[in-house]
Amino acid sequence: MSENASQSGVVRRSQTAATGENVTRRRVLKSLAGITAGILALPAARMCKAAVQNGLASADSPPGYDPTQHKWLMALDVDRCIGCGMCVEACQAENSVPQGFFRTWIERYVIKKPEPESGKTRGETVVDSTNGGIGGFKPSAVAKEQILKSFFVPKMCNLCEHSPCTQVCPVGATFDAPDGAVLVDKNYCIGCGFCIQACPYGCRFFNPETHTADKCTLCYHRITRGLKPACVEICPSQARIFGDLKNPVTDDPLQRFITNNKVEELKANLGTGPRVAYAGLDEVVR
Amino acid sequence: MPPQIIRLVLLTIGIVCAYFMARYFLVPPSFGEYGHYRGAALQEIANREPFWAGRNTCDTCHKEIVQKLAKAEHQGLSCETCHGPSEAHVKDPEVKLPQMGYDKCVRCHEASPSRPKWLHQVTVADHYTGNVCTECHDPHQPKP
Repeated sequence: MSENASQSGVVRRSQTAATGENVTRRRVLKSLAGITAGILALPAARMCKAAVQNGLASADSPPGYDPTQHKWLMALDVDRCIGCGMCVEACQAENSVPQGFFRTWIERYVIKKPEPESGKTRGETVVDSTNGGIGGFKPSAVAKEQILKSFFVPKMCNLCEHSPCTQVCPVGATFDAPDGAVLVDKNYCIGCGFCIQACPYGCRFFNPETHTADKCTLCYHRITRGLKPACVEICPSQARIFGDLKNPVTDDPLQRFITNNKVEELKANLGTGPRVAYAGLDEVVR
Repeated sequence: MPPQIIRLVLLTIGIVCAYFMARYFLVPPSFGEYGHYRGAALQEIANREPFWAGRNTCDTCHKEIVQKLAKAEHQGLSCETCHGPSEAHVKDPEVKLPQMGYDKCVRCHEASPSRPKWLHQVTVADHYTGNVCTECHDPHQPKP
């Protein structure tokens, strides 16, 4: 009988264990202790957080520049571009762009005369951009007599309002700044290259030195100091005009450009809303 | 409440807590300042030192030449377009800029069918055999 009782006691205890009530109580106590410890450790956690974030990216003091108070626009005048390539060199030097990569470049379009009696207005279009235009352009491979017309087109990031490159970034490392610049946060970019493929203008590249996506920053370090971007500063023929739509200066060259020209954007059909205004584009330019 | 539900609830609470802990530690402080990105990145990108000093900087010491230039054909040119980067010279005026030569003139003025008509162009081989354009032309007040 007593044996039976002890046996049934064992059974009951094991049943209790099986229901998990003991384990639950322990857990509750443990989590209570955890919460108390957590509250006690909060200052330490803050320090840890600061340390973690410092490790991820260094924070610097903010400048006197408020990005919400500006809206930059770049204008490129194809009829003014003389293809000297100075802008490309200026950009390379200003931004330490690795050799063979370009944040801006110049393309030479050579449109040949149509075949006689072909009934066409123009012949084949030959586009070249040897080394992005650095050092200027050598005479074209197309003989002078064959050329119907020819011109230079400066290219750069189109500073899209609805930028495809920022939409595909999986880590939020590239973004449209409130002032219109499209920038890459090098500390958070994982170098996956999605943005490089997404850009319909081919304006991004993978920087082999930083192992991140790289692109025109609109010389952000210059415009925030009140200077013009390097390409605009160095361009000898005012083919590049840069200005702030929110703070127009007296006799603003940008406003004059927009008023006096028929302004176009590249690949308007894509709906990217470029903030680079072109004047004098030919239909062959893409 | 059945124990398996309690376990599940506790597990869920644990996961939610872990998520918020991870967020607390990993989301940068300036995230969301302007949008879905780190606001401090703007400042970091702006931290670079400018390489080209700019025409306004030249104007602070070389007013006369800049004014002379402003009246001439070359009025739109930045000093550094021809003279080269001047940041070192700005910091220490003793550092002289390199002597500039013929290649600078030819770079823009060599005739090419791709160049716009408004630009003054010469086929250099037919125009001049020397290499000192400044013998005849003053780049600060050029005349064709």
